[in-house]
Amino acid sequence: MKLSSIGISHHSASLDVRERMWLSADEIRGVLAQLKERQVPECVLVSTCNRTELYSFGAAVDEASLKRFLIDFKGAAPSVQPAHFDGASAGNAVNHLFKVAAGIDSMVIGDIQILGQVKEAFILAREAGTVGPILSRLMQAALHVGKRVRTETTICEGAVSVSYAAVELASKIFADLSKKSVLLIGAGETGELTLKHLVGKGIGHVRIANRTRAKADALVAALGGTAVDYEHMVDALRSVDIVISSVNSPSYIVQPDDVQKVMKQRSNNPLFLIDIGVPRNVNPAAKRIENVFLYDIDSLGAVVDKNLENRREEIPHVTAIIREELVEFFRWHKSLDVGPTIQEFRDALELIRKQEVEKNLNRFRPEDRELLELVTRRILNKILHTPTTVLKQESEEAGHNADTVSHVRALRELFGFSRNGRKPRDE
Amino acid sequence: MTAAVDSLRILVPCLYAVLVALYGISFFGNVPVVDRVKTWVLMVSVIVHCAYLALRTAAFDHPPITSVFEIMSVLAASTAAGYAYIELRTKATNTGFFILLLAFGFQTVSSVFIKDITELPHYLHSLVLGFHVAAALLGYTAISLSAVYGFLYLMLYHEIKSSRFGVIYVRLPNLEKLETMSHKAEVLGFYALGAAIVIGLLWLPRVFSEFSYWDPKLVGSLAIWLLYAVALGAKKRLGWQGRKTMVISLVAFAFVFLSLTVINLYLSGFHSFH
Repeated sequence: MKLSSIGISHHSASLDVRERMWLSADEIRGVLAQLKERQVPECVLVSTCNRTELYSFGAAVDEASLKRFLIDFKGAAPSVQPAHFDGASAGNAVNHLFKVAAGIDSMVIGDIQILGQVKEAFILAREAGTVGPILSRLMQAALHVGKRVRTETTICEGAVSVSYAAVELASKIFADLSKKSVLLIGAGETGELTLKHLVGKGIGHVRIANRTRAKADALVAALGGTAVDYEHMVDALRSVDIVISSVNSPSYIVQPDDVQKVMKQRSNNPLFLIDIGVPRNVNPAAKRIENVFLYDIDSLGAVVDKNLENRREEIPHVTAIIREELVEFFRWHKSLDVGPTIQEFRDALELIRKQEVEKNLNRFRPEDRELLELVTRRILNKILHTPTTVLKQESEEAGHNADTVSHVRALRELFGFSRNGRKPRDE
Repeated sequence: MTAAVDSLRILVPCLYAVLVALYGISFFGNVPVVDRVKTWVLMVSVIVHCAYLALRTAAFDHPPITSVFEIMSVLAASTAAGYAYIELRTKATNTGFFILLLAFGFQTVSSVFIKDITELPHYLHSLVLGFHVAAALLGYTAISLSAVYGFLYLMLYHEIKSSRFGVIYVRLPNLEKLETMSHKAEVLGFYALGAAIVIGLLWLPRVFSEFSYWDPKLVGSLAIWLLYAVALGAKKRLGWQGRKTMVISLVAFAFVFLSLTVINLYLSGFHSFH
């Protein structure tokens, strides 16, 4: 099998290198078009912030020159060297792609985004006309692996970033976020990210308080909502349900007494305080107040760690799925081999010939029976001659190219011995 | 026929025990076979239970609503059937364990203490009694469900508060939803019980010459009803929310259970007619 994968990923290269090799959709189209000209009949290019990988089949070009080509295309030499690339071929390449699609090769185990990116890469390659029967089947199998992993395992479940963990907690406390409001105090990166996630989940109303009013206004302009005076920040607690606090302050900016007072004013409506400030912004004693849910960066970090551990525990299930799909894929692939197909074709026809001769043997005189055998056999050989030579020739010249594969499949399906070759899946 | 009734009396609580085990395994573990089987077992159990109630009606010539233990069995059946309806409608199977635990409790108490009564006093063949019992039944079912959701609320509340994220956290719906469900069921139960008490108060003095307003059962029922009135009033007037109200609901429900069992067993007044 002349399948190979080359690429750089977070395993083999630093972020700096990966950034240089990242390709936009347009660049991918360019690469695929050039590779087609360079006698690489089938290729798919996956590019994300964590990996840039080229899967190719039947290439007349060796791996070293493919690596060189990619580096030159990006003009990334000398900071990117062929040594930054990992490579795999045949079964290992298939296994690698399945692991990528399943999310267990990702930087964050179970990353959901990768499946969409693999699908996009497949679509781009199909549009560029660089997927033939083998890569098409391979990509479909990889997408199938990803789908199975998502539905049959829990590897994608549980938030694995502090900001998402906070959002997940919010949706365990409140039923309908669109009826809730959030107050962001300060403007740390994680705080903003959490706010963005909440906005993405359709949070009802956003308020932003910052010691520098201009910063608050700028964020309001970007995300919507209203700006609140920093001095009146504690008063604002009265009317919001979620508070994200990431202020750079040496002392607590919210004290239990404040919270206690506010809880009375808000008739004990649940209040979710997310304290991402280091040092902490909210006095942890506030945690004891009824209907107040206070989380600091450490407790959110603990949630993340727990979720990551849960995901790691799912890996054996995922590899089991991958193993099943590998077997399935190679069974299909094997059914494309010309040799066994010709043999089966011959056996099938020979069986028919034999049965018919035996059935009609009594109609012939004993002395003609040998002749009958001879004549029928000769007819059979003549019928078989052309298809057999064409197939053998094709396979010797081009291996599994589109023509051979479609001929083999036509033969198997028309004569009904395609039991090994399951029909390709619908996308 | 009595023999059939008797074996079903033992079989039905056993079925509930199996159900509780299945829903427990499905909630705390992850066994796909159990997930597929449990709903079918639930359906079968509800059908068998209904057959048991029908058979009792036929064998003893009255619907099983004339003693508290007969009613408890109907209560268990309506709780299970109510849950089956919720499960089929919402496809949410995660609260089944807790609700069916309650049905199991009711049915076990009923099966242990129930008596086979054939001779009924004439006043129990009454349409008013039917209304009274239907209202009480609706009320008790609703209040039981409210208590289960309240209990789940408290468990989830403590998991979130103490940053322990176990099965409860993963499987249950969010706090606000649990609170709403508990509250809605409680309001429904409050009005239904109120109706049952009013019908009872109008009907009783006419039927019983020795009727007394100090009957322990009557006093107990009124006390519980007032407790719910206070709880609901506090929610509305004082704007109480969350944990505190759930605790009150659970305390009130504990009194309901006590009243249904202890008062009827030991301080028995007019509600035991035989």
